This record gives sequence, C-alpha cells and structure tokens, in this order.
Amino acid sequence: MNLARAAREGDESAFEEIMRRYSPRVFRFAGKFFRQRSLVEEAAQEVFLKAFTELGSYEGRGSMEGWLTRITTNICLNLLRSSKRRPELTLSDLTEDETHWLDNNLTEAAAEQHQSTERGLVAADLAGRVLQTLSADDQLILTLIDGEDASVKDVVQLTGWSESKVKIQAFRARRKMRKGVEKLLTGRKSPR
Amino acid sequence: MRDEHIINLIEHTPLANLSEADLNRIRVHTGACSECHSAFQAAQVSRLLLKERAAVEFEPSPFFHTRVLAMLRERQARNETWALGRMWRSAGALASSMAAAVVLLAVFTFVVPENQVASQQVSSLVNSYSAEEVILDQTSPLEEVSDGQMLTTIYDGDEEPSK
Repeated sequence: MNLARAAREGDESAFEEIMRRYSPRVFRFAGKFFRQRSLVEEAAQEVFLKAFTELGSYEGRGSMEGWLTRITTNICLNLLRSSKRRPELTLSDLTEDETHWLDNNLTEAAAEQHQSTERGLVAADLAGRVLQTLSADDQLILTLIDGEDASVKDVVQLTGWSESKVKIQAFRARRKMRKGVEKLLTGRKSPR
Repeated sequence: MRDEHIINLIEHTPLANLSEADLNRIRVHTGACSECHSAFQAAQVSRLLLKERAAVEFEPSPFFHTRVLAMLRERQARNETWALGRMWRSAGALASSMAAAVVLLAVFTFVVPENQVASQQVSSLVNSYSAEEVILDQTSPLEEVSDGQMLTTIYDGDEEPSK
C-alpha cells in the first residue's frame, strides 16, 4: 500500500519496485493466453501502463497481486478479441510434430503420461492453434478453468462476469474445443 | 438412450473435477458406445493440450522495466504537451475574443459618432425652412425678389390693421 501511495504521488522508483515485484506473475499469467513472446510482452507492458494510470483506483483493500491479475485478465481478453481468429483447424494444417503428438496421445493411458519438455512445447503450440479457432471469451475460460484449474468463483472475480455466464461459457467452450479436437482425431487409428 | 450418453457429463465439468463414480460410469459407457468413446478421447486430449499450454511460462526480459518506465515518461511528456496545447488553444480563443471586443469598442467610439454628426448635418440641410436659414442664407431664392415687391410686401403689412 505504501508503494502504491508513493507511486501515485509520482515516485518513479516506487512504481519500478512494483514492477520488479509483480512482473514475473504478470508475465506468467499473460503467457497462458498467448503463444508468441512478443504478445506476452505487449500485454505485460499494457498492464503496467494501465496500472500506473489507475493507481488512484487501487484502494489497498485487496492484494496488489490480485488487482494486477484482474487488469492482466482484461488486457489479455481485449488482445484476444482484437487478434485474428482462425476459421477452422484441419489435419492438413498440423505440423509433423503435432500429428505425431496426436498419434501418441490418443489413448487414455498415453494421455496421462508425463511429457518431455520438447513434446510439451509441441502440445502447447497445438493447443494455441486449436484455441485460436475459438472466441476470445472461450479461450479465456478454457485457459483459466480447464488449464489453470481456476474455480468458477475465481473467474467471476477476475472477469466480473456473472456465475451463470461463466458456467454456460465454460460448457460451450469445452464442447467447441472437444469437437475441434475430435475432428482432428477422426480417421486416425488409436495406437493401442 | 441419449440421456445415458456421457457427453454432457464431460462437457459440464472439467475432467479433473470428475468424481471416481463419474469416471467409472464413463469407462463402462465408453466400452459400449463408440460415439461417447471418441468424445471422451477428444476431451482427454483437449485437457492434456490445455495443461501443456498452461505449463509454458514466460519471464520478463531484463530491459522490460526500463522500457515500461521510458514509455511512461514519454506518455507523460505527451500529456503535458497536449495540456500546453490545450491551454494555448483556450488562451488563443480568449485573446481573439478580447481583440474582437476592442475592435467593437473602437467602432462605437470613432465611427458611430462621426456618422451621428454627418446625419445631423444632413437633417439640417433637409430642413431648409428654419428661420435662421431664411434670414441668414444669402443664396436663397429670396434674392431674386425685386425691391419693389419687397416694399409692397412691407407696406401691405402696415396698412392691413387700419382696414
């Protein structure tokens, strides 16, 4: 709170300290929504620029981290909304690595296996491509609830949406993603 | 028949939150239903993809803070310039309204009174039958009256009361 007050009064070093403390968290959180580092950087930059101009609205009732996470969520949602959405992802769009990853993860047992770092990155990339076929709201909700294990209440707090909207959005987003993945898997033989 | 499918179950709840009883129900059902089997398989792959996506972490670059601070300073400087520009614009409006007021005052002070004098002169010219004009104006047509006529006029005026 003291840091926030000092920064609000124009103390640049106080704001620099806020950035130093919370930028790793902001980067990690924004990184859940974007595949390219440049976009993560852009989001984080916007977060701190907005935080600086809105320091007056931070009353110190909640944690600074929570306040910044809410700003990050809104910035990321806006960036997702402004980015181009892919119409559909088909098998022919996948790289060889991605196709190979899908082949190896068709069975339930394989899906539970620990992934190597390299294969994990292939999966993360593929996930990003599948998510890009969904709306910004769908991407946000799936990333938070199914990816980050956030609760419905957490998402309500972060987005300001109603609980019923979050539940319905999650249900629909899950269905769309499942259908998109199912389309990719169709025609492929399970390795079991 | 549709109610027995497990598709709704896997879409309503994240797979990680399903109870053991739900998972057993799913396993039993997917063993017999190919449609639900492929849906469940896709849901599992989706979950795995999202988990892998969430596992990717980014760290701030070493110059991130410096860059943001520089952007803040630039933004503040731009705002100050903008504020100065706005002040200048409003001052300009004030100055031009003051200049307009001065011009109006000058018009009322110098141009309007001259017009009034001129109009007074015009009105006196138009009113040529005043006594002063008749007596003093030597250029009037009275000059053309002959002396005889003048005398007749004077004597006629003197004789009238005796009648």
